[in-house]
Amino acid sequence: MTDMGNYDSLTVENVPGGAIVVHGDIDVAGGPILEAALLRRENEGSVVIDLGDVSFIDSSGLRSLLGASRRARARGTTVVLRHVGAEVLRLLEITGTTSHFSIETSND
Amino acid sequence: MTDAAVIGPVVLRLPPDPALSRVLRLAASGVAAMAGFTVDEIDDIKIAVSEVLLALIEHGGEGPIEVEFAIEDHAFIVRGSTPIESFDVEHPDLLLCRTVLTSVCTSHGIELIDQQAQIWAAVTHASIP
Repeated sequence: MTDMGNYDSLTVENVPGGAIVVHGDIDVAGGPILEAALLRRENEGSVVIDLGDVSFIDSSGLRSLLGASRRARARGTTVVLRHVGAEVLRLLEITGTTSHFSIETSND
Repeated sequence: MTDAAVIGPVVLRLPPDPALSRVLRLAASGVAAMAGFTVDEIDDIKIAVSEVLLALIEHGGEGPIEVEFAIEDHAFIVRGSTPIESFDVEHPDLLLCRTVLTSVCTSHGIELIDQQAQIWAAVTHASIP
């Protein structure tokens, strides 16, 4: 497991051959950390993001996810969001952005 | 728990430091819990507070940000402001912020008044008749 960045409210891990695992809050502080991790991972291929340990997300975090989705579509792929909890799912729904991702909820 | 119609205002003055977003959400949660807001309502308040600070940090200047929490007429109100010479209230980056605020808040506003970027949002305590 490679640690890709730390912040008081957010930790992002890159599991080789697996998902980008996000822990904590994706807000104005954590969004740029996630963005940097996503950009590094996109150079390696497909993007799977495990959000099972995300306790909060706002529009700055959503912008990072949407940016990854746009870049993935340009490469002919889709960003997979894994273990999506109620908080993240709600933000995706109220902003009408669920269709931008392949979503696996916490109940899947 | 205090089921009060009026609490505050609680005024916080902070540098435009993203790391303080979490601190601000925690403070807002405390005020809302004191006033008897439900867990779901507090979740909405945390999003509203985060969006207000996000917009002020990303579109404001280097100056301090003042944030005020108040319970008025059974609504949690967050008001944020920061000094700035110009502020494009129609900036595309604010569109997503506005969409979120529209969904989680009863009302909100983003304005430039007297060289101050001012953003406010209100979440009503629905369980109060």
